[in-house]
Amino acid sequence: MLDLLNAQTLQVADGSNLNWQKAITMAAQPLVNMKIIEPAYVESMISIVNEKGPYMNIGPQIVLAHARPDNSVHGIGLSLLKTNAAVPFVDAEHPVKLWFVLTATDSQSHLSVIQQLMGLLTDKNAVERMLAAVSVDELLTILQDLEA
Amino acid sequence: MKILAVCQSGLGTSFMVQMNIQAILKAENVDTSDIQVDHSDVGSATPDAADYFFVESTLAGTVSSLPKDRVVPLKSLIDKEETKQHVNEILDKEGIAYTAE
Repeated sequence: MLDLLNAQTLQVADGSNLNWQKAITMAAQPLVNMKIIEPAYVESMISIVNEKGPYMNIGPQIVLAHARPDNSVHGIGLSLLKTNAAVPFVDAEHPVKLWFVLTATDSQSHLSVIQQLMGLLTDKNAVERMLAAVSVDELLTILQDLEA
Repeated sequence: MKILAVCQSGLGTSFMVQMNIQAILKAENVDTSDIQVDHSDVGSATPDAADYFFVESTLAGTVSSLPKDRVVPLKSLIDKEETKQHVNEILDKEGIAYTAE
């Protein structure tokens, strides 16, 4: 499960020099490199947050960034950036360390990914471990433990 | 009865909430033959679209056209306990039987 999260799409960064725009851009970079999304998708995500506020802060210290499927998306993708320092998402009331980016080509095909992601995010122990993780290897171990 | 999970795009987070609600109803052995749970974007959420609307709390302002007593704002979308508390309140209000865990 969650095989979209792997050594290619997971990142860990210090975060103290990032703002939320940079954090989302960095979190999405692997998907841009893999040509799953165009940079325009990253701009869409940022402008949605600018327009609508921090609603993508789906749980304590967790953002699930996404935008509507359009021609800047070529596939289903998921990536995660863990920042060791909390970065304020829009305002100081929304500190975030786990930056997920989700991409979808239509409104149905990615639902199983969301289902799997929810399995991870509703597991309090796994989330605590992810918030404490300081390397990609640690994140991979947590994901593997979840599978076991 | 119909419960609608609402989010800005109707793509991701609303489906998460829908799944949580469905898992809670199942865990509480609720007879769901007369309960519909679905998800949609803010634009499609009209007052007659459902009996109850679950929405992330910072989006509550954008659904101001919906009757307040039928809108459930959620602080965390991944906290099953918070969602469960609201689901149980609705079940109590509607007189629907459930097994509290």
